[in-house]
Amino acid sequence: MKSEGSQPRPLTRIFSVWFRLGIQSFGGGVATLALIRRAAVDNERWVTDLEFTNYWAICQIAPGINLFALTILLGRKTGGALGIFAALAGLLFPSITITILMTAAYAKIRHAPATQAALHGVLPATIGLGLVATIQIVRPLAVVAHKEGFDTLLISALALVGSGAAIAIWHLPVIVALIGSAVLCALHAWIRTLRGTTAP
Amino acid sequence: MRSPRLDKNAARDDGSVNPLTYFLLALKASLFSTGGFGNIPSLHDDLLSRHWATERNFAEALAVGQISPGPNGLWIISLGYFLNGVPGALLSLAAIMIPPFLILGVEWLYHKTKHHPAVEGFVRGLALSTVGVFAVVLHRLLSDIGFNPRTLLICAASLAIGLTKKVPVVAVLLAAAAVGLIFR
Repeated sequence: MKSEGSQPRPLTRIFSVWFRLGIQSFGGGVATLALIRRAAVDNERWVTDLEFTNYWAICQIAPGINLFALTILLGRKTGGALGIFAALAGLLFPSITITILMTAAYAKIRHAPATQAALHGVLPATIGLGLVATIQIVRPLAVVAHKEGFDTLLISALALVGSGAAIAIWHLPVIVALIGSAVLCALHAWIRTLRGTTAP
Repeated sequence: MRSPRLDKNAARDDGSVNPLTYFLLALKASLFSTGGFGNIPSLHDDLLSRHWATERNFAEALAVGQISPGPNGLWIISLGYFLNGVPGALLSLAAIMIPPFLILGVEWLYHKTKHHPAVEGFVRGLALSTVGVFAVVLHRLLSDIGFNPRTLLICAASLAIGLTKKVPVVAVLLAAAAVGLIFR
């Protein structure tokens, strides 16, 4: 089944759909992704369900914010180069403005005793939520590693713990840890396949 | 013209923030990472060593980024504002806008190489390493706030509630703020 996305959409329509997404997208990545999916697949019929899933998968390996990459792909699909800019502008204009205003407001009240008291609750909670994000990234990777066998599990653990140790203990630049782990896992996966030991 | 300094507590003994350098550091951090938080470790490293930002600035920016609308990655807009006002925020925006455009090349390349095992391995290694490095950064942020029973309890509770995926992030943060205000 083909979506109706092959024909270009009016730029004003693209902008207004993304603008509404930008305003509604409180609560971060997962909530925003669900909103975008509903708009792009169900309401606007820009792409089919499967196309959307494929887009999102590819976006996982793009550098930077995955949601921006998704916005770029959907923008191009609906309106070419101009569609990309209409989509990004729509998504970002409200959220960037609100983020700057909130930061400015916070900077004004930062030293008030009540703000400090509230922060003593909010900051540890932010770190707890950061750990949630960490666990959500690791979980699917751990499942894959477990399925592939002991050697993949070992290499994965080495990449994870090794990068932490690289910056915590040996004070290596972060970029070295990132590239080092990526190359390690790439080589391992490659050698595995050459030996024909890929799990069924 | 420089914008007024917003935070007297922010450590800046190394001189003031160089906007171009900040932009390039933010760009590098975003270019070699994926996801909205992937750029934290590298920036944390670079900005703290230059004394342009404090641990506290990072924690505050992350909190604002979680509460405000849009992708979580917008926390860096808030950090840029702490560093250099609105121009700093706009530099952050420019730095996070450029890397996602590489998706156009990635999509093309992916269709050619998606089944190559080294590509899968590379992506997996990048993700694993981001997590390892991120855990170290979270630990540093936490020790800056101070290890005490209340801090650890709030952190653990948010982690547990967050993992259920049933409660919106904003609600967790508002509840945490209330706890902070009530149990001073």
